[in-house]
Amino acid sequence: MAVSQRRPHRTWSLLGDVKKRPSAYDVTAAKFNYHFRRDPAPFEMDPQAPFNLFYLANREGSPFNVEDWEGFRDPAKLTYADYVTLQHERETYVDLLTDHHEAAESAADLDPAWVATLRDLFVPLRFPLHVLQMTGLYVGQMAPTAFVINCANFQAADELRRIQRIAYTTKVVANAHGDDLAATAAARDPWENGEAWQPLRRVLEQLLAVRDWGEAFVALNLAVKPVVDALVNGRLSELAAQNGDEYLSLLMAEFQLDSARSRDWTAALVRYAVAQDPAMRDVVQGWLSTWQPRADAAVEGLAPLFAAAAQPLPAATVTAAALAERAALLDAAGL
Amino acid sequence: MPRLPRADWYDLTRDMNWDFSYVTEEDVFPELLSNGFGVPKQDWWTWDEPYKITYAEYVHNQAGKDAGLFTVNNVVGRSKIFENLEPGWMAATLAHYGAIAVGEYQAGIGEARMARFGRAASWRNMATYGCLDETRHGQLQTYFPYQALNKEPRLDWAHKAYHTNEWGMIAARHLFDDMFTANDAVSMAIQLTFTFETGFTNLQFLGMAADAMKVGDIDFGALISSIQTDEARHAQQGEPTLKILVAAGKKDVAQNLFDRMFWRAWKVFALLTGLSMDYYTPLEHRTHSFKEFMEEFINTQFIDQFRDFGLEAPWYWDQLLNEMNWVHHAYHLGVYYWRPTVWWNPVAGTLPEERAWLEEKYPGWNDSFGKYWDVMGENVRAGHPELTLPETFPVVCNSCQIPLCTPAGYAAGYLSSPLPLLLDLDGRRYTFCSEPCKWVFEQAPGQFKGHLSIIDRFLGGVIQPPTIPGALAYMGLSPEECGQDGTNYAWAHASVPVAGGVGR
Repeated sequence: MAVSQRRPHRTWSLLGDVKKRPSAYDVTAAKFNYHFRRDPAPFEMDPQAPFNLFYLANREGSPFNVEDWEGFRDPAKLTYADYVTLQHERETYVDLLTDHHEAAESAADLDPAWVATLRDLFVPLRFPLHVLQMTGLYVGQMAPTAFVINCANFQAADELRRIQRIAYTTKVVANAHGDDLAATAAARDPWENGEAWQPLRRVLEQLLAVRDWGEAFVALNLAVKPVVDALVNGRLSELAAQNGDEYLSLLMAEFQLDSARSRDWTAALVRYAVAQDPAMRDVVQGWLSTWQPRADAAVEGLAPLFAAAAQPLPAATVTAAALAERAALLDAAGL
Repeated sequence: MPRLPRADWYDLTRDMNWDFSYVTEEDVFPELLSNGFGVPKQDWWTWDEPYKITYAEYVHNQAGKDAGLFTVNNVVGRSKIFENLEPGWMAATLAHYGAIAVGEYQAGIGEARMARFGRAASWRNMATYGCLDETRHGQLQTYFPYQALNKEPRLDWAHKAYHTNEWGMIAARHLFDDMFTANDAVSMAIQLTFTFETGFTNLQFLGMAADAMKVGDIDFGALISSIQTDEARHAQQGEPTLKILVAAGKKDVAQNLFDRMFWRAWKVFALLTGLSMDYYTPLEHRTHSFKEFMEEFINTQFIDQFRDFGLEAPWYWDQLLNEMNWVHHAYHLGVYYWRPTVWWNPVAGTLPEERAWLEEKYPGWNDSFGKYWDVMGENVRAGHPELTLPETFPVVCNSCQIPLCTPAGYAAGYLSSPLPLLLDLDGRRYTFCSEPCKWVFEQAPGQFKGHLSIIDRFLGGVIQPPTIPGALAYMGLSPEECGQDGTNYAWAHASVPVAGGVGR
């Protein structure tokens, strides 16, 4: 077969004359988002079509913008293949952990008082965590570069992972301690009406109404998710351990790996943006001044549920720990 | 493995639907991003995916699939398989990679839209997997050609194509943006997952995977058959959405969404797959003609499935059946003639035995389309290959963005007039290749009317200089990249055409 005679590129021509051959991670994301700042409009339709105007307003027009987003890199540098391989290993671990505790019939041995705490604090979690999944995918569809899109989409998939393990555990506990725990109402009623859950529901519903991609990223990844993760993974793991639920303690701790990955790329993206344009610090801070108090209220709403356990965690301790984790993230982000 | 079977607990992963208190339903699901078409909220909550999968199952399966694929790619990369691929097959795969690879990644944006703005948690979960799938497909279909970039520089188009204004890519973007990147979640479930993925992608991928294995392109065959296993899963988001629309008395909405996208998909499919199947795939490896494939897989199996929901074949069915006889032959002539405007090297596919096959599959081909090839062959044999190259540009349809081929359809006896269809709207004249293309445009003029086709740009002074070289540069084609005859005119120097069919 006759192949073209042109001098072979070292890499994709759009990546320019590179000295070193880029990695598989680079060449399967760089400049994939061809419609960002495309002339005359992002999409190949009427430049005034509603979708073009929507993206121009909420992506190109976001105050969170720098000259070149393509230079950002996920610290974990995950391709799709890397992501599913990594999570295949982690899910294999969780399967084994589950096998071990099912063989030991651990769920049957749970203290009824702890089951009552699970009903109040654990069972409804799939509702708020689903909003984290949804908003992660909003960031994913609106972000300016595939290097950010992939991070956001993998993060959302991690939420799906956590929800499913929570759902499975809910069913196991329900089988041992009362079927009604597995009813939708057992989760939805507290989510819709429980006093402790309303501040969280308020901030998450507000998050669902955000359209600016930068604000969605800041509100989700810097304000809300860090404290939710701190409660759900960290404090709930601790609470489970001290109430004799080793399985739940190890399960929730496992999700800290996913949350750490989220925090890493979040901090890296903020640092990247501020390095590109120092004005981005104020842009981010501006949104944080709106969203942090809302997220704080959510933490304060839920903290009493930790304090109500048979072997409690003081509400003030829970709140302080969540806020400290977020403060550490903001610090890592250079904010 | 954990004791509880999936069915015991799966519903707890998909019941996260509730009434908003702090914002409105419109705040969460604005019509632009999620057109509910007036179906009550609780009806959407009944959305039930026919194919169920857990996250653990997903990552276990996908990690295994990717490990297998990368092994194949690694082994093939060290062989001479790529260098020995036939020119026609190379044209087909280059066209595929350019038009599809990054487009699939963009379908991930569409899936993310459904995963955020789909109107039920169950649906949003399925779309989350779909979003991951499309990330996979975009990455695999760039990684594989990237590995062979040092063997074939034209594979650069697997990455570059969507950044260019090459005319075929304008047509591809115009289709895919309307279908997913710039479409709302509900319409997309009908138009991307049901109409396109269940119907057309299935055909493109299954057909090409089978052909790839026959021609010995193990790499490409393994790649796209693996992709198809994902498509088959996430394409099933269409059916439950369709069921809810129909049950809510919105059959007309579903029919309209379907009809619009089915026609649009047909046009680009005829261009991409029509040429691959009937001209580019080596003759000895062809199992069906493009028309037979369409009749079997789309017009029979797919439309039967569609009718099961109480919907009907589109109103333009007769035009579709008519075009299946001729339009891709006309497109092939056009692509070959304007070959400098494409990034692959088109093969003519008109050796005597190939013409005999075409005559058998499309009776009358020799007397209609064959005549053009006779003239081009004579010019080549007379030492004037330049006469087989363009000096002007065709007229392009303002809907499908593909050059108008109505004169060829008329000359072949399939159309009653060679003239295009026209529409005057707000002081501008639009040109269309067919009644359904004009109808598609009229269904959503706000989506299309300010768009300029490549010919509008040429005539409007956007393309400078307004010459063939100027236009090629505008299309992102360097002189080395412009398509050339893929067999160095071997077809023209073969013996004169034979009449009648020979079975192969």
